[in-house]
Amino acid sequence: MRKIPEKCRQWLLQELPILENKGILSAESRQRLDDYYSNQVESRVHWAAILCAGLGALLIGGGIILLFAHNWEDLSRTARAVLSFCPLAIAVVLSALAIRRGGTGLCESAGIFHSLAVGACIALIGQTYHLPSNTPGFLLVWALLVLPLIFLLPSTGAYLFYITLICSWSGAAQDEYGQALGFWLLLIPAVIHVVRLIRREAHEGLVSLWGLILMLPIALGIVLERTVPGLWIISYACFYSLSGLLGLRLYPTESGWRNPLQTVGLAGITGLTYIFTWQNMWHDIGWSNTRHDGNYQEWGIWFDSAITLGLALAWALTAVKTLQRNSLPSLILCSFPLLACAAFFFASTSEGEIINTLLFNAYMLALGLALLAQGCRSTQLRQVNYGMAVLGLLLITRFFDSDFGFLARGLVFILMGSCFLATNLIIARKKHQQQEAQS
Amino acid sequence: MNWRMIFFGLLIVAQVAVPLRMIQQRETVLREGELFRFKTEPIDPADPFQGRYVWLQIEDDFVPISKAAANAIDYKATGYALLNVDEQGFAKFTDWSSERPTLTTNYLKTKSRGQAVNWEQLPDGQRTPVHEGLGIDIPFTRFYMDEAKAPRAERLAREATRNEDCWVEVRIFNGKAVIEDVIAEGQSLRDLASIEE
Repeated sequence: MRKIPEKCRQWLLQELPILENKGILSAESRQRLDDYYSNQVESRVHWAAILCAGLGALLIGGGIILLFAHNWEDLSRTARAVLSFCPLAIAVVLSALAIRRGGTGLCESAGIFHSLAVGACIALIGQTYHLPSNTPGFLLVWALLVLPLIFLLPSTGAYLFYITLICSWSGAAQDEYGQALGFWLLLIPAVIHVVRLIRREAHEGLVSLWGLILMLPIALGIVLERTVPGLWIISYACFYSLSGLLGLRLYPTESGWRNPLQTVGLAGITGLTYIFTWQNMWHDIGWSNTRHDGNYQEWGIWFDSAITLGLALAWALTAVKTLQRNSLPSLILCSFPLLACAAFFFASTSEGEIINTLLFNAYMLALGLALLAQGCRSTQLRQVNYGMAVLGLLLITRFFDSDFGFLARGLVFILMGSCFLATNLIIARKKHQQQEAQS
Repeated sequence: MNWRMIFFGLLIVAQVAVPLRMIQQRETVLREGELFRFKTEPIDPADPFQGRYVWLQIEDDFVPISKAAANAIDYKATGYALLNVDEQGFAKFTDWSSERPTLTTNYLKTKSRGQAVNWEQLPDGQRTPVHEGLGIDIPFTRFYMDEAKAPRAERLAREATRNEDCWVEVRIFNGKAVIEDVIAEGQSLRDLASIEE
């Protein structure tokens, strides 16, 4: 069912009596149109208002924390303990109001303020009783007490707080306990929240999806034990590819900001490809170089392998369903993990550093050229520029690696810059001509 | 009342119960715990959430056990450090137990930090490690202070440390510890830092 914005419905409601008076619509048809469009209004979110409300709550909450951080020594221990609960009490009233009345702005500001108040309360009691720093414990308790707010209010601000807290917890726990396995359990509610939002309406969960897809690569890097050097190459290749393929499946007509999965997937693969073009990357990797010193867990071999296998299976299943031979993003996303796997096994079984380096240099060159060609064919300026940026990055880096003179470097730079400008001008002109022809 | 309000009520109970439990535990220690003094050297950092504090570097942060016994204990293993008081009235850790002691309440629940060594200067100028015991985590290293007073407190306490005249008073009860005060030059660090120069 196609939904329309509220202002369009208002316009239509004004037009209907005119159309009826002119005899274009019968009274019955007019009534039917009126009835139909009264239920087809988009639930538009006023982002500016929500952003202001959220920012306001964030600033007030942060201000309260700083006020308490001044440490009012003259107050008695009891008075300070009671004061620690004040922001929480205000947050409870605000959240109760938000649950009763609803409204995105109120829910978001309540969610952010309440999340901050919970952390502030625990931190301030720690200050009053001079408690030692226990960062993972503090972050875990904070995250668990914020978690229900995501579903009860519901609040994207509280959700963003939660995923930031669990990501920070994974880092602190890895440092303190040597492992952060609990991260995967803590991640489940966040994934459930995003899936629920997307199922309700695909675009409603965009901000939450952006948060999740930006947090996951950071957390993956922290949680992996790295006992087997280089296994992360396959994990990350599968992760970014899976992300991009899911983006193609869930939002086939969208790109850029409106398709976070595809955008992060393609950007991640480009970044990885660039890292893989360096020869040092391929030193001492694979099971034969497994780390045994005290900083690495023995069980990390199994844990990292299980994570990698899980990601690879998810990627394979999605790739089989999504692969389209005529779609460039689909081909890039499906081919990259295969190449990364092959390079990992090659580097771990033989001295394949130079071959892997050459392979990924060639892959990056092909990637840039393919994006450029596709962009020119479909007159998509964004894709053209992306392809040019990939090519430019590769050429400039390799150029600085080599022993070329200043004159040669200068000429190549000017040539590349001219190519950039000329391509952009041609595509912009072509696009303009197409638009004129259409109008 | 709908289910959301019921769950919200439960959430509020949890959100209030966690800090209240923290308060109750510390108040019990302050009320029933025995007072110990630990020689210390304070440093002044800051925490973005909790404000300025004086970081207390406890001098005797180890349990004097043999090298073999210390090496047999896993790094970061949880255990109990037993306490006693020396002839000068300062607290000393005396022994390590992996089981919770039942005959006394004067012990600290902590984690091992591997072998503790003291670097001693040899006559030829070289330094050599001398085994001291099992290093342990000290769970009372932060003394929160007014943001204006903390840097001055650190300086005054450092001067007092040179004269071996700075210690932290800690109440310890059933493995838990809560700082009561930090004493430098015979008076509370808070009072000392309040005196206008």
